[in-house]
Amino acid sequence: MNGRKIGRAFRDAGGHLRRGKTRHAVSFAVLVLSFLMAGLFLSLSNNLRSRARILSRDVAVVVYLSPSATAAERRTIEDRVRLSPLVASVRTVTPEEAGDRFLKEFPDLRDVLENLGRNPLPASIEAILRDPAGPDAPIDRMIDGLRRLPGVEDIQFNRRWSDRVRALGRLSDAVGVVVGGLLILMSIAVVSGAVRLNILSRHEEISILHLVGATNGYIRGPFLLEGLILGVAGGTVAAGLVLLAARLFPLYLGHSLGALQDLIGFEPLSLLQAAGLVAGGGLAGLLGSLAALGRVFRS
Amino acid sequence: MIEFSHVWKQYHKPDWALSDVSFAVAAGEMVFITGPSGSGKSTILRLMTRECPPTDGRILIEGMDIRRIPSAKIYVLRRTMGVVFQDFRLLAERRVFDNVAVPLRVLGLPSKDVKRKVFLALRMVGLHHRIWNTPAGLSYGEQQRVAIARAVVNNPRLLLADEPTGNLDPDLASEIIALFREINRQGTTVVICTHDREIVRKFAGRVLALREGRMRERGTAP
Repeated sequence: MNGRKIGRAFRDAGGHLRRGKTRHAVSFAVLVLSFLMAGLFLSLSNNLRSRARILSRDVAVVVYLSPSATAAERRTIEDRVRLSPLVASVRTVTPEEAGDRFLKEFPDLRDVLENLGRNPLPASIEAILRDPAGPDAPIDRMIDGLRRLPGVEDIQFNRRWSDRVRALGRLSDAVGVVVGGLLILMSIAVVSGAVRLNILSRHEEISILHLVGATNGYIRGPFLLEGLILGVAGGTVAAGLVLLAARLFPLYLGHSLGALQDLIGFEPLSLLQAAGLVAGGGLAGLLGSLAALGRVFRS
Repeated sequence: MIEFSHVWKQYHKPDWALSDVSFAVAAGEMVFITGPSGSGKSTILRLMTRECPPTDGRILIEGMDIRRIPSAKIYVLRRTMGVVFQDFRLLAERRVFDNVAVPLRVLGLPSKDVKRKVFLALRMVGLHHRIWNTPAGLSYGEQQRVAIARAVVNNPRLLLADEPTGNLDPDLASEIIALFREINRQGTTVVICTHDREIVRKFAGRVLALREGRMRERGTAP
């Protein structure tokens, strides 16, 4: 196909889009909605994955000490932790340090802490593991041994949190694939309907083109482009709206979620993901056009 | 140029649109195919353009057996011919220029060549002053002339016309047939299907008469 023919195909496709404004506006809106949903779930999943990464960077077994623990009990616990071959280093955290850390991470909750009139946060011993991704069994055995020592109030292993957050990310991916996929299928059907109506409304012109010796590519090209342009435009707008959501969500809704803001938040899409949304839009539009052309020209 | 050899065509059982039709048209000839409505005239044209295949028999156009042309290559055959319809089949929302330019744009000709050829074709049919009108602003006779200009704009070797005078009064009909005669004089083979025997009588040319799908008589108009 030479440049003139490509130019003509684009001009014709533009003409098709102008002529069927309402039906193309509906197709465009459905495409944007579909890819916006897919993009938002992807963005949510990005955020959860990023949180999981942060959590797993500092995998530790945290032993919370009872307020009534004696100095000897504390020493015994600390020694047991320090002597474990699984542990790389040990950090002791006083109740005051725990309070400071809490206020740093959750400044909105300062009032709550102050209204209590006392610091409710216990002292703790944090065991940083040599191999954060190591097997669970030896760590569980160490935790069980520590739990039996006097002066221990509770033990948390934060790798489980990172695993849970990662699982949430996978769930978000799955929901995005299912919901986005269904909506994308719907958008393909809507684009196909719009292009089909356009083909039928130009039936006379198509029959003339056939008779004067137009090739199938010449006739079908503009209809394919019509779907492709709609899809690329829909995907681009959806990617833009996801970016906007990622920027505006923390400003307007994020704070109302308080501590959950870390989990329920949108992280901007990577360039590859945004390009994927645009390309996906183009593919959906193209498939819609192909389906319409197949149905009309078969009949 | 055209050879129909024992051609049969059936759209729906048990009726035959054409039954054992054989004839030949030499290059440069002007031939009228006459007959009442439903006699099979339009079927002959539809077979020549390969809008539909024959049920049986052989059709050669410029030596090509058109049944053997793959669907994806039909355009090659159609680029050698121009077709004029009784109902003109002009694109109502496009200007005269754009209507006539359709076959040239399909060929991907440069815009300069398209303009020149469209102007020449419209001058030949006497409508170059109507180039920017839309078909709605033209009379029936003028619309038929635009359709003829579109059919001849890429200098086809074969011009097919299906009832080209069907909607026109006798004077206009004679003008249109005279135009076909002029195109034929320039070397284009012309095949005109018409039920109007009066118009055939007025113009010299070979006549093939069809009745109920069978070729009944062959002759030459005076």
